Amino acid sequence: MSKSKPLKKSPRTTGHARFKVGDRVRVKDLPNLFYSRTQMYVRGVVGTIAACTYQDVIPEDEAFNRDGRLEQYYIIRFRQKDLWPEYPFDNDTVQTESPERWLEPAEK
Amino acid sequence: MSHTHKPGDGGAERHAAPMVEEITDFEVLEIAVRELAIEHGLFTAEDHRRFTEWTESIGPAAGSRLVAKAWIDPAFKARVMEDAVRACKEIGIDWAEPTGFGTPSDYMNLRVLEDTPTLHHVIVCTLCSCYPRPLLGMSPEWYRTTNYRRRLVRWPRQVLAEFGLILPPEVELRVEDSNQKCRFMVLPVQPEGTENWTEQQLAQIVTRDCMIGVALPRPGRTADIHPVQKARRPVQSSEHSGEPAHEHDK
Repeated sequence: MSKSKPLKKSPRTTGHARFKVGDRVRVKDLPNLFYSRTQMYVRGVVGTIAACTYQDVIPEDEAFNRDGRLEQYYIIRFRQKDLWPEYPFDNDTVQTESPERWLEPAEK
Repeated sequence: MSHTHKPGDGGAERHAAPMVEEITDFEVLEIAVRELAIEHGLFTAEDHRRFTEWTESIGPAAGSRLVAKAWIDPAFKARVMEDAVRACKEIGIDWAEPTGFGTPSDYMNLRVLEDTPTLHHVIVCTLCSCYPRPLLGMSPEWYRTTNYRRRLVRWPRQVLAEFGLILPPEVELRVEDSNQKCRFMVLPVQPEGTENWTEQQLAQIVTRDCMIGVALPRPGRTADIHPVQKARRPVQSSEHSGEPAHEHDK
């Protein structure tokens, strides 16, 4: 995975990423208000930050053309076994992307 | 759908019978927005047709070139892994073309997923059909199906097996769900037996499916080969050639 780029300065950004590559995070199980791109299959599951990608408006705002603040996005890596306990191959993984508000720190 | 009356048919309605009865809300919305844009002079119907023709003609050749160049040029590969959108300009692909804001890529974030002998990537968009279109063109039909999108995340090895790709258990299979604004393509491992090949030769074996991750590049299998095979009819076996069945490339 390529290394993350420095964040662009923007009046609408918080200017820093809360998580870094390698951090353990849990995907929050927030209610879906009209629109979300945070997949149900990762809700409540702990994964590892694989990349800090970019800052952008969140889908929940963008879907309704709301000029929300920019937020840091991350690629999170999950073990298949953590998503589906009966998954038969230990090494296999899934990665999805999420904006910061859907993530909370998880214990190592 | 127009209703026409044939003289002498007693006024009974005759239809050009559609294969599919329904038009989705999104299709209606697209037509409405397009017609409004044309009425307001933002673009012409001819512009729209040309743009559609262009987007549908892009194809995966640029992606094949990117992979081949990355295989033979480690410095280029490093630039691809650092900033793939910028590296694309070196092979003549500008993600901002032609609008300046990323159409037909939707978003200008590309990450290239490098396979190793112990790690294999495959891409999916579980939400819809996000795909690195400036490099690979339009996505294949099966890539957009709910079947592929649902099952690749949950049963990836079974899905790959249906494409004829069976990975050893010790290889980590990593499914990349492009559910946000990043677009992904796979950089496969250069196959053995191609060590002294030119960039042009290498590009020939990097087919579209290799860059999605449902196939592996192999010497001898190129994008130019048409997988035309006679279907065998088990009942009428008089033309049975006796040759072993060839691999069927999806």
